[in-house]
Amino acid sequence: MAGLNGEVSWFCCGNAWGPCASTGRGACGTCHSGNFQHAWPNTSDACFAITHPDTCGVTGMSRRTCGFRHSTTNLCNGSRVVTSIADCGPQTDLFCGERACCGGTCASNRIVDLTPAAFSAIASLSAGLIPCTIDVG
Amino acid sequence: MTTTMDRRSLLTRAALGATGLVAAGAMGSLAPETAFAAATQYPEPGQPDPNFAEGLIIGRNQDLLQVQGSDGRLHRIQLTGVTSVWKLRPTTLDQVRVGDGLYARGVLMPDGTLAAESVWVNIVNLTVSITSIGRSTLQLEHHGQKVVGYVQPGLTAAVYNGTPAVSDLSMLKVGRHAQVIGAWRPGTNEIDIATVYASN
Repeated sequence: MAGLNGEVSWFCCGNAWGPCASTGRGACGTCHSGNFQHAWPNTSDACFAITHPDTCGVTGMSRRTCGFRHSTTNLCNGSRVVTSIADCGPQTDLFCGERACCGGTCASNRIVDLTPAAFSAIASLSAGLIPCTIDVG
Repeated sequence: MTTTMDRRSLLTRAALGATGLVAAGAMGSLAPETAFAAATQYPEPGQPDPNFAEGLIIGRNQDLLQVQGSDGRLHRIQLTGVTSVWKLRPTTLDQVRVGDGLYARGVLMPDGTLAAESVWVNIVNLTVSITSIGRSTLQLEHHGQKVVGYVQPGLTAAVYNGTPAVSDLSMLKVGRHAQVIGAWRPGTNEIDIATVYASN
């Protein structure tokens, strides 16, 4: 897979406090907020039917299943983290065309969600949404 | 950008009591946006990160936090003179309180204490549906659970399809989805809203 540009956010999973307590362990049953893991929009037909990145014109998003490794590079600062798939998501079609920018660098459409442990390795959790490049890890 | 060894050295000194103010000034800020060194990754993908912790604060002795992890593990987290703190907004160490939830990133010390470079207190990032909109609240649903979101005048901002954040929430719509960054009010199903990203 050539580098795919888009937006990355974060999500909580596994045992958790507050509103996150209801989120569960993800589609793979292995997801924990403290692990280096991510959600990917094309883990199965059922997953793709929910996330529908194709409706936003996102191509090149290969079918990848639980445990597959991707690297996510923060386009704002160059930091990179390698994680494995633990859930289905994000729901790309809810935010079609959305853009995240830092300085003059922008990317459109949500293509990956990281766990808090992984996201905080490349950006502040309070940033919420940043432009990134995804590669095979 | 600092290197991992620089950060480890600085946080070690800070955690040992030399508050690190001189070192921090010499080596640059450890604010989150500058602290993410592109170093060789540890741990392996899929594994827990020993330099990260989450859970509820069950005790505080000066700047040493006792945290009950959601997985049952106990963490000791040392706040230092160079720790950045977020609690709805960037804030100060004294705002970190027993009962709060947190995520912390730092450096695991040989004695098992995590010397924190960043802590995010009560932070939540929820994909929700908007069930009703009031003057100062949003009623939200997250994974089947009701969540009350409080609008904070002068702070809460909305982002509409990637536009710059604005204080005007009037374009939010009932029935639509949104992503909300906010701060949980401990022991409740309520949050204070920092940023709401509106869906299409």
